[in-house]
Amino acid sequence: MTAISLGQRRRLPAWGAILGALLVLELGYFSVTNRNFFGGGTGMLTQIELFIPTGILAMGLALVILTGNIDLSAGAIASLSSVVVGTQLESGTVIGAIVVALVVSTVIGLVNGLIVAHLGIDSLLVTLATQFIASSLAVSLAGDNPPQDFASLFLTLGRGTVAGVPVALLIFAVVAAVVALLVGRSRFGRRLVLIGHNAEAARYSGIRVARTTVGVFTVSGLIAGIAGIVLAAYFNAGRSDSGMALLLPAITCVVLGGVDIFGGKGRVGEVVVAVLLLGFLTQGLLNSGFSSLATTMVTGLLLIVALVVKIAFEVRSDPSVLASTADRLRRRFAPRRPAADHG
Amino acid sequence: MMLTVPTGKGGTTYEAHSIDKAFSVPVLRRVDVVFHPGEIHTLVGENGAGKSTLLKIMSGVYAPDGGRRILDGEELGHLTPAEARRRGIYLVPQEPRLMPDLSVAENLYLGALPRGRFGLTVDWRRARDTTSGLLETVGLSVDPRMLAGRLPLAHQQLLECARALAQGCRVIFFDEPTSPLTAHEADTLFALMRDLRDRGLTLGFISHRFDEVEDLSDRITVLRDGSVVGRHERGTVSRPALIEEMVGRALTLTRRTQRDTSPGEVVLSVEELVSPPEVNGMSIDVRAGEIVGLAGLVGSGRTELAETVFGLRQPTAGRVTVMGRDVTTAGPDRCIADGLVYLAEDRGRNGIFADVDLGTNATSAVIGRLPGRVGLLDTQEEARMAQRMLVRMNVKAATMTQPIASLSGGNQQKVLFARWVLAHPRVAIFDEPTRGVDVGAKEGIYQIIEDLAGEGLATLVISSELEELVRLCDRVYAVYEGRIVGQLRGDAITVDSVGELAVGAA
Amino acid sequence: MTMSVTASRPVARPTQSTRRPMTTALARREVQIVIAMLLIVGVSTLAYPDFLSSRVIANVFIAAMVTTFVSLGQTFVMLARGIDLSVAPILGLSAVVVGFAAQDHGLGLWRGLVLGAVVGMVLGVGNAVLVSWFKLPPIIATLGTFSVYGGLQFVVTGGQQVDQIPGQYTQYGIATHTIVPGVPVILLAGLAATALVSWVLRSTVFGRNVYATGDDGEAAFRAGIPVRRITFLAYVLCGLFAGIAGVVYLTRTGSADSLTGTQTNENLNAIAAALIGGTALTGGRGTAVGSFLGSVFLSLTLSAMGIAFGVPNEWQPAGIGVLILLAVVADPRARRGHALTTLRMRLRRSAR
Repeated sequence: MTAISLGQRRRLPAWGAILGALLVLELGYFSVTNRNFFGGGTGMLTQIELFIPTGILAMGLALVILTGNIDLSAGAIASLSSVVVGTQLESGTVIGAIVVALVVSTVIGLVNGLIVAHLGIDSLLVTLATQFIASSLAVSLAGDNPPQDFASLFLTLGRGTVAGVPVALLIFAVVAAVVALLVGRSRFGRRLVLIGHNAEAARYSGIRVARTTVGVFTVSGLIAGIAGIVLAAYFNAGRSDSGMALLLPAITCVVLGGVDIFGGKGRVGEVVVAVLLLGFLTQGLLNSGFSSLATTMVTGLLLIVALVVKIAFEVRSDPSVLASTADRLRRRFAPRRPAADHG
Repeated sequence: MMLTVPTGKGGTTYEAHSIDKAFSVPVLRRVDVVFHPGEIHTLVGENGAGKSTLLKIMSGVYAPDGGRRILDGEELGHLTPAEARRRGIYLVPQEPRLMPDLSVAENLYLGALPRGRFGLTVDWRRARDTTSGLLETVGLSVDPRMLAGRLPLAHQQLLECARALAQGCRVIFFDEPTSPLTAHEADTLFALMRDLRDRGLTLGFISHRFDEVEDLSDRITVLRDGSVVGRHERGTVSRPALIEEMVGRALTLTRRTQRDTSPGEVVLSVEELVSPPEVNGMSIDVRAGEIVGLAGLVGSGRTELAETVFGLRQPTAGRVTVMGRDVTTAGPDRCIADGLVYLAEDRGRNGIFADVDLGTNATSAVIGRLPGRVGLLDTQEEARMAQRMLVRMNVKAATMTQPIASLSGGNQQKVLFARWVLAHPRVAIFDEPTRGVDVGAKEGIYQIIEDLAGEGLATLVISSELEELVRLCDRVYAVYEGRIVGQLRGDAITVDSVGELAVGAA
Repeated sequence: MTMSVTASRPVARPTQSTRRPMTTALARREVQIVIAMLLIVGVSTLAYPDFLSSRVIANVFIAAMVTTFVSLGQTFVMLARGIDLSVAPILGLSAVVVGFAAQDHGLGLWRGLVLGAVVGMVLGVGNAVLVSWFKLPPIIATLGTFSVYGGLQFVVTGGQQVDQIPGQYTQYGIATHTIVPGVPVILLAGLAATALVSWVLRSTVFGRNVYATGDDGEAAFRAGIPVRRITFLAYVLCGLFAGIAGVVYLTRTGSADSLTGTQTNENLNAIAAALIGGTALTGGRGTAVGSFLGSVFLSLTLSAMGIAFGVPNEWQPAGIGVLILLAVVADPRARRGHALTTLRMRLRRSAR
């Protein structure tokens, strides 16, 4: 008779620990070098407000990337959502406007998923295309006079606070918690993670790969829609260019948070830490007088460095990782072999 | 016929000296083999005996853990496939590996395109001129400008040989080159091999077909469990003696003890199932508590039948029922729900989630039925559930949280058995259940299969190992070219009878 | 015991290449594009008779040239089974660097071209190091350099705009400047570059190795092709062409700023042009001529949308997006589902 232990409760993941330590260092550094950084009381929390929509977007992207796909359209969907909610606010109720914006975003996500899953086209191409389609929609809908000056009730979503805690941060927390539960504790999440690890084995296990993929892109669309609404509330305007800028930092958060770009591996909790890390970093840089483009540049550098370090890190713990990374790269661009025997 | 390879005097001798290789388990132990010029040297042995590994080491695909490779008296150090090719050693793989989007001519010179002046450009004229001669040599009459991906598989195989010649190789290894070929196509290849031998090249060959082995070999080396157990020259060994050396004993099979209970009701019924091109109208049925075998050559449509039954492929005609419920067009999810499960042939690709823990691997087919409340999984309870099943399957592992890739092949396979038993099946299809499993663990897997059948599971076993079918089955169907060509029961199931049926001879 | 093995799988007889030349020609993406372009011209002329004027047509070609250069570079990378999402800021950086040098220091056109090419190459080396040495996934690596280069571009401009480009540059960007009558100089440059890349890809050992690397990198490596070096060079060349495209952009517009390249979605344009031209994201398939035609097709479609059918400008990116999807859908071999099926068939046969 064999004995197999259930296994100890998970150790603190090494990557997460590094991220946490970096976050602490960073907060320490900024609070020493920049007196305005804390701003007293809950000031530290409000610092990150500007970054919240990016964080929300990252949650949806994390799901997509966990399946081994990518969603380049998430930022454009957020833009579209923010324009839609703006135009709807001009004529309707707050709730109605939010619902319409979320429905529109979800539908675009659904379309992404349907094309990827049922036409079998690489998600990079599909979402590259829908990114510009959604963005065109947003620009054309916004017209020359983008909707602005919304009801104060709506604006609390962007800049309001409850008991000192920004409402936007609460929204982020709820989205993050839901996504974390989805990945860690739900059947849907289990399926999407297994698809990310090995889509063929998932199919042979009776997992409906196409349906789950559609679901993941749909959820990503919905979450991008939420991000767009928070954006609109933060800027008090439905700007058609507001969401596109979120895409890169959101992807950076996901990669920095340790999610494997080829799918399967990654923890939502670590992505949340990465969101905070990057959020405070960009805000700290902006406060210290860096331009927003310079901040973007730092984000890009961080993305690259995070990947290099992460790959180096994995190589150290498992020398076969380089080979397997190459292997997974190949699998991602599934090699075509001739079907000549049926020619 | 024009042969562009140099047919210099003497030829090349290539020796393997005391080669050792282990992956997680030892695969080769101090193997000595000498490949002489002007000879076809055949390696025979069971699956997993180490034949392929040896040829891959000799051609630079793998590095040996110990031992020496000596080419014409010169010891080769570190060897990459490219370096091996430069030294004139070429492995024709089981599956041709051509560039599908490049032309036939270009594939011939892949990595060694003839260069024009200044060494920058490709000398297409020279490539084209030599191409037609080479293609003629290997008996291939195709347009050199055609895309290689458009060639039928057999021609791709010949093209691989032509490539070896094009790059001036003098030592050519063939790793089961005939498995994807028809008899006629194989004959073309053999004619070429003889021709090359007569021209003094050094050939190594792996085959499972005794006709081929006896027909072609000038020298035979028998491998068993990674060691050389026999060396023979042409015509000095009989087929039964060869088989005994390969298997390691005279075929004394512990046939499964006949149970006196007659099999129960029909659980799986397949009627005239068609899924072109591999499945051309097959009917089988499997009863509760019965172990039924499916024998056939690779490519006979066995696996395709199983995949069609399990809903991974769509049938174009026919009917599949499980306990009377029609699952003909059902996908794998519904098949599993209706009590039909399928252990896939290719464990690495279609079975395991390599980096995922044992528990999650075991429960991946029953995600919809996992314990939980309000949509949230109870992962603790899930782990316990999986643990109980893994213990029952006698999996040897330290903790439930270790990735399945850290287990041996046999234990990985047992985890997959756990996966399918957790689905509470009424009927199970086990496709090559002991492939890649070391000899010691095979018996454990047979035990599991028999126990499950004893509990009333209707079982269909697909296997290339005749011994395995004889050992396990109450009844065996033989499959040939997508059709059922015969059926054997009880004591009529012997290695010979099944083997004859499976090659379509009866 | 394993006596089994050898299959007598029915293998298809060789399909004799008896397909008619006509059918073969029609199967070529290049021919399809030309036919589609003729159709678009025809329909547009019906809707707007002036569409066929030499001015409109010349402008279609001229407007395509920036994208042509970028997509020629992108073709190298895509053929080697990669992707470069940073070409837009590379173009932009080259444009502002050369632009400032020309505006403030009177840098001549030829030297400007060299400078642009060098800037592009250096940035391309950055991508190449990340992808080829550090083995980062190209999507993420170039997405990262996209923002790094974009930031650099902003830093270089210091928020200022280049708008005093010497006429020495801009004279070449207009349709009426010709050497061969009726053919604008800038179009000749595009054609020459296409011919050069076409020659490199078809006739040099390097070019063939690019195809092999993208077709099956593992097999290419085993055949002794220096896969890593090929990949490296592909990204460097991609940067080089994007850098030249920056100078072409200057001649066309006479101005450049911190958003040049990014603002006009050059990433999207280049990838779309290559895809429309038949280059596969999965590597190993595509031609320089295809990419040239793809960018002209793109330009023609956008002109037709705008001039003949009055579609507002903001819908242009959406139009390109739809074209990308159509281009891929129309290529059954580019679909993953298909690739996986054939892969599975192959693996099933390989009984170890």
